[in-house]
Amino acid sequence: MSKENRVVVIEQLTKRYGTFTALDGLSLTIEAGQILGMIGPNGAGKTTCIKILVGLARPTGGTAQIGGADCVRDSRRIKHLVGYMPDRFGSYDNMRVHEYLDFFGAAFGISRPVRRQRIEEVMETTGTTYMRDKFVETLSHGMQQRVGIARTLLHNPQVLILDEPANGLDPQARIEMRDLLIRLARGGKTLIVTSHILPELSRICDQVAILTHGKLRALGTVDQISRMVSQERTIEVQFSNREQLARGAEIARSHLDPASEVVQVPAEGVVRFRTARPEAQLADLLAGLIQGGVKVSQFRELQTDLEEAFMSFANLGSGKSPPGAPAISLSATEKVVMQGSKR
Amino acid sequence: MNTALLQRELVTLLRQRRMVLMQCALAIGFALLVIIRWPTEPRISLSGSRAQEVFRLLSYGLLAALLLLLPVFPATSIVRERNSGTLALLLNTPLGPIRIFFGKLLAVLGVAGLILALSLPAAAACFAMSGASWKHSQVYLMLALTALQYASLGLLISTYATSADGAVRWTYGFVLLSSVLVLGPYQFLHGLGGNLAEGANWLRCASPFAALMSLLGAGDVAGGGMVDRTNVAARFVIISFALSLVYSLWAISRLNHSIFDLSRDAGRISDEQNLWVRLLRRFVFVVDPQRRSRPIGPLVNPVMVKEFRCRRFGRLHWLLRLVAVCALLSLGLTYAAVTGTVNWGVETIGGIMVLMQVALLVLFTPALAAGLISTERESGGWPLLQMTPMSPLRIVWGKLLSVILTLLLVLCATLPGYLVMIYIDPGMRFQVQRVVTCLLATAGFAMMLSAAIGSLFRRTAAATAAAYAALLLVCGAPLLIWLGRDAPFGHDTVERALVINPVAAALSVIRLPGFRDYDLIPGNWWFLGISSAVCLVVLLVQTHRISRPQ
Repeated sequence: MSKENRVVVIEQLTKRYGTFTALDGLSLTIEAGQILGMIGPNGAGKTTCIKILVGLARPTGGTAQIGGADCVRDSRRIKHLVGYMPDRFGSYDNMRVHEYLDFFGAAFGISRPVRRQRIEEVMETTGTTYMRDKFVETLSHGMQQRVGIARTLLHNPQVLILDEPANGLDPQARIEMRDLLIRLARGGKTLIVTSHILPELSRICDQVAILTHGKLRALGTVDQISRMVSQERTIEVQFSNREQLARGAEIARSHLDPASEVVQVPAEGVVRFRTARPEAQLADLLAGLIQGGVKVSQFRELQTDLEEAFMSFANLGSGKSPPGAPAISLSATEKVVMQGSKR
Repeated sequence: MNTALLQRELVTLLRQRRMVLMQCALAIGFALLVIIRWPTEPRISLSGSRAQEVFRLLSYGLLAALLLLLPVFPATSIVRERNSGTLALLLNTPLGPIRIFFGKLLAVLGVAGLILALSLPAAAACFAMSGASWKHSQVYLMLALTALQYASLGLLISTYATSADGAVRWTYGFVLLSSVLVLGPYQFLHGLGGNLAEGANWLRCASPFAALMSLLGAGDVAGGGMVDRTNVAARFVIISFALSLVYSLWAISRLNHSIFDLSRDAGRISDEQNLWVRLLRRFVFVVDPQRRSRPIGPLVNPVMVKEFRCRRFGRLHWLLRLVAVCALLSLGLTYAAVTGTVNWGVETIGGIMVLMQVALLVLFTPALAAGLISTERESGGWPLLQMTPMSPLRIVWGKLLSVILTLLLVLCATLPGYLVMIYIDPGMRFQVQRVVTCLLATAGFAMMLSAAIGSLFRRTAAATAAAYAALLLVCGAPLLIWLGRDAPFGHDTVERALVINPVAAALSVIRLPGFRDYDLIPGNWWFLGISSAVCLVVLLVQTHRISRPQ
C-alpha cells in the first residue's frame, strides 16, 4: 500500500472511560476509493472509533488521521474532509427534504448558487430527487437513510463514515443502499461502514475489520479473514449426471485424507467436502474425476461465510474459541495485506 | 379497575429522579415554612393568627405546587406511550379505554395525593396552634378537585399531541389560562352589572386561586375591595367537577384506533400547480406555506432559518397571523379606551394590554426557547450540527435570534395601541416608554431563563415543563403575596416580593390600580438584567460542555 494513497491512517488508537477500555490499540489504514467494513458485537468499539475519527470523541492514546489531517488537532479540517452519518437520522420537524439539505449546505458555508447545484447533484446521486418536497419526518426509514447520505455528500467530502446505514432497511432498500455505496466508492470516495448485516458487508467491502472488546481481531478481505479462521476450504463438485454421484464421491475420497467427510447431495447433484489440500492437489483430484469418466459440470470453492468468521472472532474475543478454530494473534492479522477489489 | 396498570403507572412515576427531588424539595419547603413562622417567644397569641398565616401560605404553596409540578405527568403520559408503541399494545389487551384512562388518572392523582400528604405534618402543626380548624379540610378537598381537573385535562391534551413537549406546552398554557387569566375579565368588569359582568364572575370562579382565597377568607381575588356575595368555592366545585367529567369522557373517547389514524400530507407543493391556484393561495395566505422556499441567504444565520422552518407555527404565514391578531387586539382595546374612558380610563386599558402582552410572553417564550438545545439532543441533530464548521456560539446565537425575532414581532404588533394611547393622553408618553422597556426586559428574561433551564435537559418535554414551572414561579408566586397585600403581608413585604416580578413592574409603571403604590423600577430591571446575564452564562457553559469531544 503506497503511503500517498492512504486516506485514513489509524495508529495505536486507544480510548478509555475510567477503567473501561472501549478501544485498545487499534491500527489500520485505508486507501482512497476503498470500502472498509467494520464489524463487531455491540460494545466492540466501532462507534467509539468512528466518533474519534469525526472529532466527536478524544482518544486516550494513539493517533488518527484523515487526508493528512489529525482528528484531534485539525478538527475543523476534518469536518470538511469527512461526511458522517450517525446511526440516528437526526430529523427535524416540518422541514422538506430540499430545505433540510439546504440548511446543512448553508451550515457548511456553501454559497447559494453552488449549494443549489450540489443539492440537485446529491439528490440525483442518492436517488432522492423525487422526494425533494416531502417532509423529512414523513419519509420511510430507507428514504431517510438515503437523505442522510445525500446530506453527508453535500460538502463533497473525501471520506464517508456511515454508522449502520443498512440497519432496519427492507431487502429492496438494502440492495439499493449497497449499490449506492458501491457507486460512491467508484466515484472516488473512501467509505467506512459499520453494520451488523454481514452478508451486505461481505458483498461490498474491500476489507473488513473485526473488532471485539475494543481490539482489532482481524483485518483483510473476507477471503483472507475466512482463511484465518480455518485453513480448510469447502469445495463443491457438480455432476451433470446424478447417477455418477456415488462414483464421484468415491474418487474424491481416494484423493483426500481418510478423515475428510465427503457429503453427497443427490437433490442438487453435488458432492461437497472440506480440505486443506493445496491448489495443485485439487487439480489432481479434478483430473482424477475426469479420467474416471465422471462428467463434471462445475468444480468450485464455496464463497466464504463472513458470519462464520465473525462468530469465530467474537467467540475468540470472549474467550470461547470454537472447536477447531485456530488461535489468531493480533500481530498475525495485522500482517494481512489488502489484495484486489471485489467490485 | 386494573391494579396492574395503576401500579405500573404509579411505580414508573415514583421511580423518576425528578419525583424524588420534588418530594424532598416540598418536604423541606413545608418544614421551613413552619420553622420560619413558628412562635419564638414564650408567649403566644391564643387567637392563632400566626398559625393562620402559616396555613394560608401552606395552602397557596400547595396549590402552586400542584399547578406547577403536576400537569407534566398526565401531559406526557399518553403521547409518550403512543410514540413508543406501548399504547397500541395496551389497546390490544382486553383492558379497554376506560380502564386504561382511569389507571393513568389514578396514578397522577396518586402523585397529587403524595404532594398533599407531604404537607399534612405542617397542616397538623397549624391545627395544633389554632391556625386551622376542621372547616379548613375543605381546602384539601378543593386541592384534590383541582388535581383531578388538571390531571384529566393533561390526559386529554396528551391524546391529541404528537410529541411530549408539545403536550407539555399546551397543558401548561391551558393551566395558566384556566387558573390565572380567567381572573382578568372580572378585574375590569366587576361591579358593572349585566350579563358580561356575570359571565366574568362565573369565569373567575373557574380559577382555583379564587376558590382558595374564598375558602381561606382572604378577600375576593381581583375584587378591588368590593364585597361580593358569590359563593366562589361552590361555583368552583361545580365548574371543576363538570370540566373534569367532560375532559375524562372526551379523553376516553379518544382512546381507540383513531388515535393512531393520523394521516399527514407528505409534502404537496404549490409551485407545480396552475397559475390561478397559486394566485388564489397567495391571496388567501399572503405567504403561501406550500410554496417552495428559497435557499438560505448568505447573510443570515442558517440555524435561525432552520428554527423558523421546523417550528409548526414558525412559518411566515403563521407569524403574520399572530402579528395581525395582536395588532387588532391592541387597536381594539385602544378604541375601547377612546369610546369608554369614563368607565375604564386609559390606565386600565393599558393594564389590560400589558397583561395580554405578558401573558403572551409567558405562554410563548418557554415554548419557543426551552427546547432550543434539548430538541437537538433528543432528535440526534446535535452531532450533525457539531459536524458542521459552525461554532457552538453561532449555533446558539442563531437559535436565540429565532426567538428574539418572534418575540419582537409580537411586541411590535401592539405598539400601534400604545401610540394611540399617547395620542389620547400625551402625558402617558413617559409611562409607555417605561412599559415598553419593561416588556422588552421581560421578553429577554423569559427567553434566557427558558433557554438556560431547557439546556440542562436531554428531553424537550422535561425542558419545557421545567422552563414553564420556573417562569410561572417568578411571575406567579409574587402575585400570590400581592393578593394578600393587606393581610397578612405589609406594603414593604409585598414590594420586596414584587420587585422580581416583571408583570408587576410593567403594571406598576402603567399605574394600574392595585400596583401604582409600589415602586418597582429600577429594582426590577436590575433583577431581570442580572438574571438574564446569569442565564446566558449558564446557556453558553452548557452548550460548550455538550459540544466538547467526549
